[in-house]
Amino acid sequence: MFNVDITGEYIAFFIFAVIIIAGAVLMISLEKVVHMVISMAAAFLGLAGMYVLLDAEFVAFVQVLIYAGAVSILMIFGIMMTKHNGEAVETAKPLHETLAAVGALCLFGLLFYSIRTADFQSAGAFDPGQDNTLAIGEQLFTGYIVPFELLSILLTVAFIGAIALAKKEAD
Amino acid sequence: MLPSYLTMGAILFCIGLYGALAKRNAIIVLLSLELMLNGVNLNLVAFSKYGVIPSLTGQLFSIFTITVAAAEAAIAVAILIALFRARGTVLIDAFNRMRR
Amino acid sequence: MDFFAKIAWIIPLLPLAAFLVLMTLGRGFRRAGAWIGSIGALGAFVLSLLVLSERLKPHAIDYSYNFSWISIGEYTLRIGFEITNLTALMLVVVTLVGLLVNIYSAGYMASDERITVFYGYVSLFTFSMLGLVLSDNLLSFYLFWELVGVCSFLLVGFWYARPAARAAAKKAFIVTRIGDAGLLIAILLLFWNMPGHALDFTSIQSIFGGHGGSFTDGITTVIALLIFLGAVGKSGQFPLHVWLPDAMEGPTPISALIHAATMVAAGVFLVARTFSIFEAAPAAMETVAYVGAFTAIFAAVIALAQNDLKRILAYSTISQLGYMMVALGLGTMTGAIFHLFTHAFFKALLFLAAGSVIHAVHTQDIREMGGIGSRMRVTAWTFAIGGLALAGIPPLSGFWSKDAILTAALEHNPLLFGVGLATAFLTALYMTRLFVLVFLGKSGSKAGEAKESPLVMTIPLIALAVLAAIAGFVELPWNGWLSGWLTDEVIEPHGSVAVIGLSIAAGLLGMLAGWLLYGKGIAGSQPLASRLPRMVKLAERKFYIDELYEMVFVKSLRGLGACLAAFDTYVIGGAVKLAGSAAGAAGKLGLRLQNGQVQTYGVAAVLGVVAIAVVVIGRRMLS
Repeated sequence: MFNVDITGEYIAFFIFAVIIIAGAVLMISLEKVVHMVISMAAAFLGLAGMYVLLDAEFVAFVQVLIYAGAVSILMIFGIMMTKHNGEAVETAKPLHETLAAVGALCLFGLLFYSIRTADFQSAGAFDPGQDNTLAIGEQLFTGYIVPFELLSILLTVAFIGAIALAKKEAD
Repeated sequence: MLPSYLTMGAILFCIGLYGALAKRNAIIVLLSLELMLNGVNLNLVAFSKYGVIPSLTGQLFSIFTITVAAAEAAIAVAILIALFRARGTVLIDAFNRMRR
Repeated sequence: MDFFAKIAWIIPLLPLAAFLVLMTLGRGFRRAGAWIGSIGALGAFVLSLLVLSERLKPHAIDYSYNFSWISIGEYTLRIGFEITNLTALMLVVVTLVGLLVNIYSAGYMASDERITVFYGYVSLFTFSMLGLVLSDNLLSFYLFWELVGVCSFLLVGFWYARPAARAAAKKAFIVTRIGDAGLLIAILLLFWNMPGHALDFTSIQSIFGGHGGSFTDGITTVIALLIFLGAVGKSGQFPLHVWLPDAMEGPTPISALIHAATMVAAGVFLVARTFSIFEAAPAAMETVAYVGAFTAIFAAVIALAQNDLKRILAYSTISQLGYMMVALGLGTMTGAIFHLFTHAFFKALLFLAAGSVIHAVHTQDIREMGGIGSRMRVTAWTFAIGGLALAGIPPLSGFWSKDAILTAALEHNPLLFGVGLATAFLTALYMTRLFVLVFLGKSGSKAGEAKESPLVMTIPLIALAVLAAIAGFVELPWNGWLSGWLTDEVIEPHGSVAVIGLSIAAGLLGMLAGWLLYGKGIAGSQPLASRLPRMVKLAERKFYIDELYEMVFVKSLRGLGACLAAFDTYVIGGAVKLAGSAAGAAGKLGLRLQNGQVQTYGVAAVLGVVAIAVVVIGRRMLS
C-alpha cells in the first residue's frame, strides 16, 4: 500500500493532503468562528493544488475563485452580520457528539475498506487537452449546453432569493 | 494514485459529516457542508484522470457542483441571517420548530 | 282430484305472511295483531281441512312435488313438499290447535304490551311447524326443526324481563341442541350412505323397506339411535327432559301450543316419518321403547309431587310423550300417531284451562287455589273433561289411544305393559289430585278473586273439550279405521277385553286413590308427604336430575370455561399486552429521537446508513 515510488506528484500530494486535513481539522476544533473560516480557506486552497495535480487547472482556478474567495468571504459576512460571542455556553451533548463521531468514523471505515479492496482498472492515459480551459469550454457549450443554461437560471434565482430573504430588515 | 485521492475525499467527507452533525453553530455547520461537497468534488476530478475511461466529464461535473454549492451557500447565509433576526441566535439548538 | 294437495304449499305461507305483516306493523296495532294472527291461522286451518277431506277418499294417492334447489357437481338437492295421510292429519292438528290458541291468546294476552310481537312469534312458529310437517326430505325438515326450536326459545323467553324466563329459554335451547346435534349427524350419515345422496323420505322408505340396501346393520342402528336422540331432545324424553318443565315460564297459550300439542310432537313425528329406518334396526326399536317407558313412569312420579299447576301438566306431557315412544318402539306407529292426535287435543285443553285459572287467580301454586270450580264453571268442566281424557276414562279420547298402545304392549312385551298400566294409574292419581286441589274443596288464599274468563278464552276451551271427548272414536279396539287409513293396510281388529278392563281399572283406581287421599282431606293437602317424606321429597326435587346435570355437566363445563378464560386473560391477553406495551415503549424511544433537532435526525440517518452498509458488505464478505 505504501510502497509507492517517491515521485514528484506523490510528494506534492502529500503536502497538499497535510494542508487540507490540517485545515479541515482545525476548522472543526478552533474556538473562534473567524479562525475557522480562515482554516477552511486553507483547506480549499490545498484542494485547488490537488486539482492542479489532477490536470484540472480550470477547476483549480474556479475552486480558488469561488470557494477560497467568494464562499469564504460570504461566510465572513454572515458571521459579521450575526452575533458571535463565541463563548456561548456550550450545553454539552456528549452522547450526541459521540454518536456523530462514531457514525462518521464507521462511515470512513467502510469507505476506506471499499476503496482499498476495490479493483480500479486504469485504462488509457488522460488527455487534458492542449488547453484545459478551451477543452472544458468546448464541452460546456456543445454537449452540456442545457445543464449549463439551467445552472445560470438556478444561480439567478438563488441570488434573487438570497436578496429577498436578507432584505427583510429594511421593513 | 487513485486510491489515495479517493481516501483523501473520504477523509474530507467524514470530517465534514462530523462537523455538520456535531457542531452547534449554524455557520460552522454550513462550512462543514461545503467541506463535504469538496470531498465529493475531489472524487469527481480524481476519476476524471484515473478512472476507467479518463475524460473531461468529471471536471465538468465538478464545475457544476461548485456552482450549485455557491448558490447554496448564498441562500444558506441569507436564511441564517433571517433566522438570526428572528431568534437572536445562530445556535442550532434553537431551531427546533420542526418538532411541533 | 287432488287439487288441494297441490296447493298445500300455501298452508305454511299464510302464517308466514301473518308473521311478516305483524313484524312490519310493530307494537302500535294491538287489536289488529290478534286479528291478523288469527286470520292467518284460520286460513291455514281451512286449507288443511280441505286437504284432509281429499285424503279421506279411499285410496288417495300420495302427492309430492319437489324442485331442484341446489346443484353441486353431480349432486342435485331437491326440496319440496309431500302430502300423505300422516302429514294431512298433522296439518289439521297443528293448524287447529294453532287457531284455537290464537283466539284464546286474544283474551289471555290482552293486557300484554307486546301482544303484536307475541302473535308474530306464534305465526312464525305455526309456519315452521307446518313446514316441518310438509317437508318431503330430511334437510328441509331439519331446517324447520331448528326454526321450531328458535320459536320455542323466543316464546319461552317472551317475558324476558323475568330472569327465570331467560334462564328457561336458554335451557330449552341448549338442551334441545344436544338432540339436534344427534339428528344432524344422522342426516349427514344418511347423506353419506344413501345411493345418490337422496334425503327425501320416499327414498329412505324404499331403501330401508328393502331391508337395508347398502346399509349394514351397525350403521342403520347408529342412524336410528341418532335420529332418536333428536326426538329425545325435542320431545323431552329422559334424559333430555329437563327443559320442558322449565319452559313453562313462557305464556300459557305457548305451553299449550308448543309444549303440549305441536312442537314436542315433532319428535314423535320425526320417528314416525323415518319409521322404516327404525324397523330395520331392532336394537334401536327396543331402545326407543324402554326409554319411552322409563320416561313415562318417571315423569308421572315427579308430576305427583309437584305443586306448580303448569309444571304438573308439563311432566304429564313428558309422560304421555313417553307413551308415544313406547308405541313407536313396539312398532305400532299408528298407536303413537293416534295418541299424539288425541293428546294434542286434551293436553292443549288442559293447558288452556290452566291458563284460564292462572289468568283468574294470578298464581301457579295449586296449594293457594282451591274451590275455584264454583266460580269458574266452564273452565272447571272443560278441565275435568281434559283430565278424564288424560286419565284414560272411557269413552273419552285418551282412553282409546292409550288402550291401543297398551294392547300392543301386552302383545309384545309384558314388562312394558306393566309399566304402562302403572303409569296410567299414576296419571289418574295426579290428575285427580290436581283437579281436587284446584277446583274443589275450601277456597284457597288466592281463590277469592277468581271469576270466569272472557268468552274469547272459553270458546276455544269448549271446542277443545268436544274434540277431546270425541277424537278417540276414529279408532276403536274393534274398528281400526285410523290404522287402516294411515298405513293403507287392512288391520285386523285387535281389541282385547282384558286390556280394556285393566286399563279402566287402573284409571278408576287412580282416581279413587286420589279422591281418598286428597278429596276427603284426610291428612291436609299433603297426605303423602307425611307418610313417605323421603320419597315425596325425591319426586318433588325431580329426582335431583337438574342438580346432577348441574354438578356433572354445568360445573365441569364452567370449570373448563374458567380455565380457558384464564388462559385467554393471562397467556393470550398477556401476549397481546406485551406486543402493545412493546410498541408503546418503541414509540416512547422514537419520541425522544423526535426532538426537532435536524442534527439528531442526521445522526440517526448516518447510523442507519452505516448499519445497512455493514449488513450488505458483511453478507458479501461472508458469501
